[in-house]
Amino acid sequence: MNALRLSFNPAKTLTRVLASSFALFLFSAGVSAQDVVNRWGPTPSASSYGDDFDDLFWLITALVSVSFALVVILLVVPLIRDRARPGKKASYDHGTSLHDKRFTACVSIIVFVVLDAWVLVIAMEDLQTGFWNYPNPDNAATYKVEVLGQQWAWNFRATGLDGEFGTPDDILTTNTLTVPKDRPISMNFTSKDVIHSFFLPDMRTKRDVNPGSVNIAWFEPVIAGDFDILCAELCGFAHYQMYGKLHVLEQDVFDTWEKEASLMAQAAYDKNDTEAHWAWEWQE
Amino acid sequence: MKRLTLLLAGAALSLGMTLPASDPLTVSEGDEHGHDSSASAPEGPHDRPPLDVVLDIHTDAWLRAPSEDWFEAQAELDPDRFSYVDDLLDIDGDTEGGYQDKLGEYELRYDAEEDEIAYWQYISADRLTQGRRDYVQFCSSCHGFDGDGYGRSGQHLRPPPRNFTKPFYKFTKVPGHLLPSDESLILLVERGLNGTPMLPWALSRDQLNDIIQYLKSLSPEGVGWRDVYSEVGHIVESDGDPWTGREAEAIQAGQDVYHGTAKCYSCHPGYVTPEKLAEINGLPAGSMPRENFTYPIAKITENYEVQGVPMLLLPPDFTWQDVRAGTTPLELFETIGAGIGGTAMPQWKGSLSDKDIWAMAYYVRSLIETYKGHPEKRAEFMSSLRTGR
Repeated sequence: MNALRLSFNPAKTLTRVLASSFALFLFSAGVSAQDVVNRWGPTPSASSYGDDFDDLFWLITALVSVSFALVVILLVVPLIRDRARPGKKASYDHGTSLHDKRFTACVSIIVFVVLDAWVLVIAMEDLQTGFWNYPNPDNAATYKVEVLGQQWAWNFRATGLDGEFGTPDDILTTNTLTVPKDRPISMNFTSKDVIHSFFLPDMRTKRDVNPGSVNIAWFEPVIAGDFDILCAELCGFAHYQMYGKLHVLEQDVFDTWEKEASLMAQAAYDKNDTEAHWAWEWQE
Repeated sequence: MKRLTLLLAGAALSLGMTLPASDPLTVSEGDEHGHDSSASAPEGPHDRPPLDVVLDIHTDAWLRAPSEDWFEAQAELDPDRFSYVDDLLDIDGDTEGGYQDKLGEYELRYDAEEDEIAYWQYISADRLTQGRRDYVQFCSSCHGFDGDGYGRSGQHLRPPPRNFTKPFYKFTKVPGHLLPSDESLILLVERGLNGTPMLPWALSRDQLNDIIQYLKSLSPEGVGWRDVYSEVGHIVESDGDPWTGREAEAIQAGQDVYHGTAKCYSCHPGYVTPEKLAEINGLPAGSMPRENFTYPIAKITENYEVQGVPMLLLPPDFTWQDVRAGTTPLELFETIGAGIGGTAMPQWKGSLSDKDIWAMAYYVRSLIETYKGHPEKRAEFMSSLRTGR
């Protein structure tokens, strides 16, 4: 009769059922880590410094994930190993022994000095070679754009063919910005009313747009296509609708576009309407 | 209530009606160090005088209502509310018939001074206050606290935000010489204007209705909705699309109307070769109607102005600029049919047959769909027209 007696542990069985159905779910859905990233992760980087930004993002994510896993293991293992059992006596420890203090110091040094310093060095390197490595404004390759934020739209002013702001051929657009591929795009920002934030998620570029002062930022698009322009600072009731499109064109297409846009701008230019001439002196 | 007033006044203050001294948009003469010598230390928000934004309105308003046809239609829909009364008005012994509103919102009134009879709509002060509060919260940043179209965020904007103290409206789809109906204004606010900061506003119908009544009440005495001689119109109507299932044919017909009868190319660009244009109009080959035939021509319009400067308006090149009020054939039919109020774009409904206007709607949509947002394709097309090949 002994052979027919089944040992049945409800908790163990439940865990096994859950684990195997989850594995089956992952398998049948064909979910891989790459799928998870594609679906819920950031869009592919489209700017020259975007990959550095992403590398840093994933490094920090990996470090934090490992730390999180370690902390969870350190919490869960003693909970199970030292749970209340017949014959097991509870003990109490303040963690004040030299051994404990050494251990705490070692962990702190690893986390706060080694890991954080590592991330900080990479971050500073990225800033120096990317965000803060502003393109030379005198270089003909640098494409300059003045961005004027307002409740609730983005106004753009590009120089047109003459390379000067505040001239009749300045290309003025609302909510759409057209730029050439593979050239540094240098931007000046200010706002008419409240604080906005100019955000190009695909370019990994974001800058606050403040009334009363001019902020600067730059990026270099390496993929042609249409991308989102968002406002990343709650700026009032219709903040969620403060949405624009960035068109990145190949250089030859862009040249055609710029010439036409410049002609169109001249047709709409009115020298008497001085209030519409809002360009400011370029800030570097 | 006092709290709400303070809150809204605070919000209004934070919009900032005066530019700070360091504002880069302020044109100022600087000294040799680039500093503005005339400017004192920048003012903090607490140093500014509080804005005197009035939120409560204490006087009721009587505004122009639609004409008798509208009441006739309403009486059919709601006979309990609207009924025709033969002796509604008694003017020096003569009786005048008209529609009576049991709720008392609409009234046929006799203006003894002007000797005119007209329908008027009663708007209570409470309703105007409600509209005013929503207006200050949602609209005033661009359209201004006084509705003059010169709010803090509306400055430097071209085209400028609408000035509600003038009776001109552009994209209501109501013929321009008439005042837009409530329905057309609400639809405009709900849809927004493509390519401008006028967004599609997700407000409730009640809110929109109150805001619209408040906007109408901004007309000064004797102007717009306070003018006994003005007339309220409605969105242009069509008996249905005559080209259903024959789109390609409609586009061809539309091209001929655009470059022929309607002569749209006198302001908008032409989209055919000179040979084709001559053929459509039966002109000798090689004659060009104007220079820069493939570019739009901007015109000064006195009806729209900012701080006394009349605006230069550029008619859209459909392959380049945004069309403001929708790109479906029906929306384009309505826009072309009604014309653009206060500008050189006339009302086409009446001067052209509905069939021709529908054809143009299809043609304009085909231009937008084929070339707008495709700079390469557009450049090829336009240069083929310009080089005459």
